[in-house]
Amino acid sequence: MLRFIVSRLLWMIPSLVALSFLSFVLIELPPGDYVTTYIATLAASNEVVDQNTAADLRARFGLDQPMVVQYWKWIFGIVTEGNFGLSFEWQQPVSELIWERMSLTLLLTVSTLLLTWGLALPIGVFSAVKKYSVGDYIATFFSFLGLAIPSFLLALVLMYVAAVKFGQDVGGLFSEPYVAAPWSFGKVLDLLSHLWVPVVILAVSGTASLIRVMRANMLDELNKPYVTTARAKGLSEFALLVKYPLRVALNPFISTIAWLLPNLVSGSVIVAIVLSLPTAGPMLLQSLMSQDMYLAGAFVLLICALTLLGSLVSDILLALVDPRIRLE
Amino acid sequence: MAALAEGAVDAKQMAVASQWQLLWWAFKRHRLAMVGLVVVVALYIVAAIPGFFAVNDPARQNARAAFHPPQTIHFFDTDEGFAFRPYFHPYALRRDPVSLAAVYVEDTSRKIPLEIFGKGYEYNLFGLFPTDRHMFASSDARQPLFLLGADRLGRCVYSRIMQGAQISLSLGLVGVFLSLTIGVVLGGISGYFGGRLDFGIQRVIEFILSLPSIPIWLALAAAMPQDWPATTQYFMITVILSLTGWAQLARVVRGRFLSLRTEEFVVAARLDGASEGRVIFRHMLPSFMSHIIASITLAIPAMILAETSLSFLGLGLQPPTISWGVLLREAQNIRSIATAPWLFAPGAAVVVAVMALNFLGDGLRDAADPYNK
Amino acid sequence: MSDRQDSKTESAVSRRVLLQGVAGVAALAASPPLAFAQAAPKEAPELARMVAENRLPPLDQRLPRNPMVVTPHETVGRYGGTLRRGLRGSSDHNGILRMVGNQGLVRWNLEFTQVLPNVAERWDVNATATEFVFHLRAGMKWSDGKPFTADDVVFAIEDCTKNSELYRSVPSVLTIGGKPAVVTKVSDTAVKFAFEAPYAMFLENLATPLGQHPTLFPKHYCSQFHPKYNSGLDAQVRAANLSDWPTLFRARCGDIEIPSRWGNAEKPTLDPWVVAEAYTGGATRVTMRRNPYFWQVDPNGAQLPYIDQLTMNISQDVESLMLDTISGRIDIQDRHIDSLQNKPTLSQNMQRGGYRLVELVASGAQQCMIYLNMTHKDPAMRAMFANKEFRQALSLGIDRKEIIDLVYLGQSEPYQTGPRPGHPWYHEKLARQFTNHDPAQANAILDRLGYRRGPDRMRLRPDGQKVFFAIDVIPTLYPDAVDTLELVKRHWAALGVDIKVNTIERALYYTRGDNNDHDAATWPGPGGLDPILDPRDYLAQHPQGSRYAIPWTQWYVSGGKEGQEPPESQKRRMKLFDDARATPDIAKRGQIVKEMLDLTAEDFETIGVCLAVNSFGIAKNNLRNVPLKMPQAWSWPNPGPALPQQFFFTA
Repeated sequence: MLRFIVSRLLWMIPSLVALSFLSFVLIELPPGDYVTTYIATLAASNEVVDQNTAADLRARFGLDQPMVVQYWKWIFGIVTEGNFGLSFEWQQPVSELIWERMSLTLLLTVSTLLLTWGLALPIGVFSAVKKYSVGDYIATFFSFLGLAIPSFLLALVLMYVAAVKFGQDVGGLFSEPYVAAPWSFGKVLDLLSHLWVPVVILAVSGTASLIRVMRANMLDELNKPYVTTARAKGLSEFALLVKYPLRVALNPFISTIAWLLPNLVSGSVIVAIVLSLPTAGPMLLQSLMSQDMYLAGAFVLLICALTLLGSLVSDILLALVDPRIRLE
Repeated sequence: MAALAEGAVDAKQMAVASQWQLLWWAFKRHRLAMVGLVVVVALYIVAAIPGFFAVNDPARQNARAAFHPPQTIHFFDTDEGFAFRPYFHPYALRRDPVSLAAVYVEDTSRKIPLEIFGKGYEYNLFGLFPTDRHMFASSDARQPLFLLGADRLGRCVYSRIMQGAQISLSLGLVGVFLSLTIGVVLGGISGYFGGRLDFGIQRVIEFILSLPSIPIWLALAAAMPQDWPATTQYFMITVILSLTGWAQLARVVRGRFLSLRTEEFVVAARLDGASEGRVIFRHMLPSFMSHIIASITLAIPAMILAETSLSFLGLGLQPPTISWGVLLREAQNIRSIATAPWLFAPGAAVVVAVMALNFLGDGLRDAADPYNK
Repeated sequence: MSDRQDSKTESAVSRRVLLQGVAGVAALAASPPLAFAQAAPKEAPELARMVAENRLPPLDQRLPRNPMVVTPHETVGRYGGTLRRGLRGSSDHNGILRMVGNQGLVRWNLEFTQVLPNVAERWDVNATATEFVFHLRAGMKWSDGKPFTADDVVFAIEDCTKNSELYRSVPSVLTIGGKPAVVTKVSDTAVKFAFEAPYAMFLENLATPLGQHPTLFPKHYCSQFHPKYNSGLDAQVRAANLSDWPTLFRARCGDIEIPSRWGNAEKPTLDPWVVAEAYTGGATRVTMRRNPYFWQVDPNGAQLPYIDQLTMNISQDVESLMLDTISGRIDIQDRHIDSLQNKPTLSQNMQRGGYRLVELVASGAQQCMIYLNMTHKDPAMRAMFANKEFRQALSLGIDRKEIIDLVYLGQSEPYQTGPRPGHPWYHEKLARQFTNHDPAQANAILDRLGYRRGPDRMRLRPDGQKVFFAIDVIPTLYPDAVDTLELVKRHWAALGVDIKVNTIERALYYTRGDNNDHDAATWPGPGGLDPILDPRDYLAQHPQGSRYAIPWTQWYVSGGKEGQEPPESQKRRMKLFDDARATPDIAKRGQIVKEMLDLTAEDFETIGVCLAVNSFGIAKNNLRNVPLKMPQAWSWPNPGPALPQQFFFTA
């Protein structure tokens, strides 16, 4: 096991290098460059960039150099000084920008995750065990409703109702007086009073699909002979469920941990945009759309690292939960 | 299987029935699945000939019908006795003298009869035969029927939903099935053989999972020939992206195969001399069918809604193309919520399609489950 | 109403508690009404308190000897309040610029017709328009209390904009005939700009946002990031983990329109409000507080601005800005919410939100200009688009009335291009030719040109290909243009001309233009109120904007070295345009422009649909001194030239 882990960890280094290069190429691939999107953004408000300035910016950001040179400069800075470069747009160090948003992002996504799993797993098991009961139909109906409604639409409607009918502002994560305030008990309470809105909205579609997957997996197991055997041995229904079929049915969920971690960073972008949440998603999206190379590159690198780590963790867990799986 | 199937299927018949017949008999017993099947078939008929079901030209703007509210069809005319004679009341456009806002007033004194298989706008059946017959049409060309209201440019929402079914129920599905197939095959191979092969495939999966998809979209959208129709461009991009979309399912399938491959039935099949492909697809995969069916039924709404998210970012399908995703995107603003909630009707179409597909999927799963009681 | 006030007071109080020690942020929101019983105060109460506590010099030492006197739009105001406005996502720095950062040497009047004194109290121009001497206000201070003098202007131009490491080329406003201005100090309060060629439009250009460089960089602060003044700069650059000094300079001192202009709370400015919470990558809002050294007063001699503080929340999405607006959480806004489709919703909710609508006069000429690429790479397409009669036929085929009724809610009139009706340079022929809907004549022209109809009633080119082209449009930017083009598609289909409404993403739109890959494109046509500042539709002059012939613009911009040589009429117009810019006499300039527009009308290169539609904004009912009608332009960066410093809240 230890050898397995160490060799996988070592493998991550060449993987990351290759991935960072490929993603740099990908970010660069769309037409235009940062300066093009900068001009286009300003043009949206009929604002004009000085024609001399445009060429000037390209030279300043090194965009007139070949891609390989740009990449080399960037990766060299990371490896030698841990310097992830400067965001073109903000003229701020990339690492500063990312960390600034990370804590709230993690808070939001982890609470969403807990709510989603906490709701979905029991409901999924229930609707598999009581297949075609009234409860199952209700769960099915609502989960598909949740799936079919775009979550950002739900966010918008909720904001509209809150704003127009109740005069409440549900956007953002803090109310006005707390935005710039230092952390205090009041600020935490304020955060919690705002947090539930995006958490619920994000959990709706996530819960819905998890319920379906859980139900399907349980159904695959419930009729297997080993369940009948266990029941015949006189195990209580609950113990029986938890001990055998549930464990097997969890297998696909453990496989998903591989992309759970990166999703913590990159998930739920559009809801965050609609609700004006200060999370990493909108910034990642913006940097990709505007080809803010170093910011986007650093984000992607972070996501790559988390993916590699996540798939390692999920492989280990797979083996732990299911003794039939052996890792070599 | 002991419980007798409805209808006249006796034990003797059952003994000699093929596997497909067994499946169909089992499926037929599942009422909701039958309903799902009927709805899905109906939806695909609509998708095949949307023009026949539409009442107004879905792309035709109408200056006198911006934000026209939905109209109801009255099926029975009670004026001269009770008769099946569908009609609707026309709406008159009045302008508020102060704010110049349009107000539509129902004129209950007038009845516009509906013609079943009546003549309306001209369209191409299957893109080949020009015709102007519709399932039903307003008998007065100057009084169009807005069954589900009209949008900001006075276009008929009902007809647009019919038209949108064509793209929403076809283009993206190809991508979904492509990535599912690749995912199951590669995931199966990875989990079944393990070792080096597994290691290699898993690294590829990690690779693909980490790639940002937005720049790929941007780049592909630019690379497509601009004189292609928007739908062809979108189709090509979804197909190309499905080549990267298989990674998640492949990992899940692989996890499951890792645990199954030491099971007795697999070993038995292998000792029996079954080929590896046969072991994977005939023996191991069926015990994992529910998850795959669930994945398909989940991928479909995700695909329709992904279109909406993409057009939110200025990518993916864009108006003037008509699809459910585009319609929902167009409805997504404060004005629709406040004054024209009927613009969300395409959302209902998505729900119906998703539910129908899901119940169909459930029925198939149950029918295919050898342990099902 | 009272609900809102309560919560405002409450939030101001808690903010005060939380921001203790931050100079002068909080206090005034709760200013006691009894202050009015006494003589009108000459400065904001919070500043008066700071003076009393000896934390700030008295008012007469903070104001210049001859402060600029602003006549309020309606009435003399009162101090206090927080003005709320919305920004959208990142790259919305110009939303701040428009409100706050409009303190150049000169400024526009409200009508956008005349240049007025601003930082410079007066100026002298020589007869040939090659030398401009600006007289600054004696005793004027930066927002940190340090004096503002001619040295700052010389530093900004000579040391900064002309430094080739900082600016590879000198900003074009400061350049004429390829040569930049030479700026010299005459005295502490006088500074001279000398050009090698006549530059008649210099003052007008200075009044636009791109002319703000002279007052952008405080020498005493920014020189510490400049190698000429700071020999130890390298260490500083390294300490900040940056690659070179220009990066450091731009991060600290900004530039006219980059986000970092508002990202540094330490940088002194001449603006009415200064940054308190900066516009950085992680920000969810930007706040600004009053500049205690602001150099403008009302007629009573009371220092401006009236309003204490600005709060600009950053929304990511337009719809959430709309929600904030209709629920009354925005005090003044037009940016991002001003699409015509939002107007009904906003007018229905006027009462709920407690705001009124402000009319913004479009400064553009054309709402949706269709540019056929006359320099298309494909010779057959080029021949088709370059044929004037073909373009006439297409123009006659558009039912403009239907488009105006449906897409623009009846708020416009058929129009081609040219200065707007009412403008002294309005050109009837250029504006109205071929705007009637005459499909019969259009068909006749196309028949005559040899575009025969094929079996499916669509026309074929002489080479047998279908008459088909794609019109590029950015749906996220101009949804109305997509609607318009869809109608145009139907109108032209009736003529037998097939088009594709090519909805593409914005960066692709630009690269296709830059590479001359587009068949056709749409964009709103500018130059309605500022014909000489943005004449891209009158001659091929704008390398990103004159989309009917980008290679011609490259020929013009590069002085004949790059691009393609344009036809005679274009070359003549380029000459006339250069002449007009060098002609100080307005009447004479008008004559030259008319001659140029005659040629434009004759050649009929672009196809217009309708006159650029007036837009709108909102202002809260208790926010006064806001003009109910003002231009909307980038050269007149609304609402800045309406002087937000004299806006105030009634009690």
